[in-house]
Amino acid sequence: MGFLKQVSDYAKESLQAAKYIGQGLSVTFDHMSRRPVTVQYPYEKLIPSERFRGRIHFEFDKCIACEVCVRVCPINLPVVDWEFDKATKKKDLKHYSIDFGVCIFCGNCVEYCPTNCLSMTEEYELASYDRHELNYDNVALGRLPYKVTQDPMVTPMRELAYLPKGVMDPHDLPPNARRAGQMPQEILEAAKAKETAEAKLEAKGDATKAD
Amino acid sequence: MNQGIDLQGSFVNTLVDLGLPAGAAKALWLPLPMVVILVGATVSIFVTVWLERKISAAAQQRIGPEFAGPLGTLQAAADGIKLIFKEDITPAKADPILFTLGPAIVVIPVFLSYLIVPFGQNLVITDIGVGIFLWIALSSIAPIGLLMSGYSSNNKYSLLGGLRAAAQSISYEIPMALAVLAVVLMSNSLSTIDIVNQQSGYGILGWNIWRQPAGFLIFWIAALAECERLPFDLPEAEEELVAGYQTEYTGMKFGLFYVGSYVNLVLSALIVSILYLGGWESPVSVSWLASLIGVSETTPWLQVITASLGIMMTLFKAYALVFIAVLLRWTVPRVRIDQLLDFGWKFLLPVSLVNLLLTAALKLTFPMAFGG
Repeated sequence: MGFLKQVSDYAKESLQAAKYIGQGLSVTFDHMSRRPVTVQYPYEKLIPSERFRGRIHFEFDKCIACEVCVRVCPINLPVVDWEFDKATKKKDLKHYSIDFGVCIFCGNCVEYCPTNCLSMTEEYELASYDRHELNYDNVALGRLPYKVTQDPMVTPMRELAYLPKGVMDPHDLPPNARRAGQMPQEILEAAKAKETAEAKLEAKGDATKAD
Repeated sequence: MNQGIDLQGSFVNTLVDLGLPAGAAKALWLPLPMVVILVGATVSIFVTVWLERKISAAAQQRIGPEFAGPLGTLQAAADGIKLIFKEDITPAKADPILFTLGPAIVVIPVFLSYLIVPFGQNLVITDIGVGIFLWIALSSIAPIGLLMSGYSSNNKYSLLGGLRAAAQSISYEIPMALAVLAVVLMSNSLSTIDIVNQQSGYGILGWNIWRQPAGFLIFWIAALAECERLPFDLPEAEEELVAGYQTEYTGMKFGLFYVGSYVNLVLSALIVSILYLGGWESPVSVSWLASLIGVSETTPWLQVITASLGIMMTLFKAYALVFIAVLLRWTVPRVRIDQLLDFGWKFLLPVSLVNLLLTAALKLTFPMAFGG
């Protein structure tokens, strides 16, 4: 009897496995009828999100060579080359460079820069044939990247977070379609409206208490 | 029973009428089927590779190849041309003869197996009495080629890969042969033509899949393992592992393994459709329809229609199976080598043996339905 039980257990397991394979096949088959979500990269690009941390932009004239960026950097990456100008009693910036082959794009330097001469851009295409080419000097850092939305060669695509609720594919979206969720200003307005309403209610409550 | 178009007969007759001796006419016929095999198999590779890539893309919500040719149809050709122009390297201290012979031995039997694939009553290269046996014999040559190419690469990983491939091929050959044997028992013949004819007459109801469901599954699983398709693509695992018997191969020698595996996939699908899905028979029997509207089976235009419909039905069934194979590839996770061998020896083998014995018993008890 023990042997028969083994056989029946094995058969049961096999049938279950077959059932699961069938379920899996039906899932895969269902995927066949779905539209591809491919972004055809060099011709179509996703619009980077608002707080995207891309290549760092640097404005030479705003920099006061305070070296705060070096101090807040986890690996002291920015190289600030300055000389003290005795006549004006100020630091005179010669060169400034960041090696993007080493940078982790944490954005600390941008956060702490007292004169806002550092900023984040949307540029993410930093590939090069030699990693030494990734060491950007102040001229390279001063270049503004081409915006995806303004590039005539590129069809900009909205990311998932910027698509209306339930839409997965940015391809056939009307241009003015609203993104999912509320805009920041709407959240603020709603909060304000709620506050005033509460204040009114409280005022009413006070009034009734007084009576 | 010799209905349908006789291409060889009419070709030879035409040439004899033109004044050629019969021997010369037959000699002129000989290369034509060979060329048809080669061209057909090559086209089937292109079609299968394209389908595989497109279906894989669809299953993953991608687009797949689309730049080489309309809808990427020339992608496989582009890949082939790239492989041809790549440098052909033989590793140092490798045995150059065995190293070159390996891929050839893997590929040639697969092409040879097309000899016995019928697309109609007379649309077959040779209707030999031992057709399906020949196919099994030919398909067991491939492991030798795999082992040879793994061994001659002068690389221990290639050797291990070759051994794995050979172990897999051999362990799945046996359940496959037993599954075929059950079909052969029912049709009392090893000839592929007879096997299809035995299924004809009742349309879709007469197909072997209803009488041999377990055999069909066993055969299809074993065929997938033979072609080294996922979930059984352990010998090479082209996407993940850098190992296997073709590690040292470059250029077209490397490509030959893939040519072999794709041709083998199409061939297996064709054989499954012949053994279990009624071959060139339509789901509704054409001869039955013809007799219903009162057209004789020997009418020339009906014969042409039957022949072309037969080719289309065979290809349709085969490619439906290829489609299932591609879907399986993206559904089922790869098995481990010990699971693979366990599955082959401890599950498929006993089940196929039971299937064979059951078929024999049923043949004795219900000779009407099981070809007594």
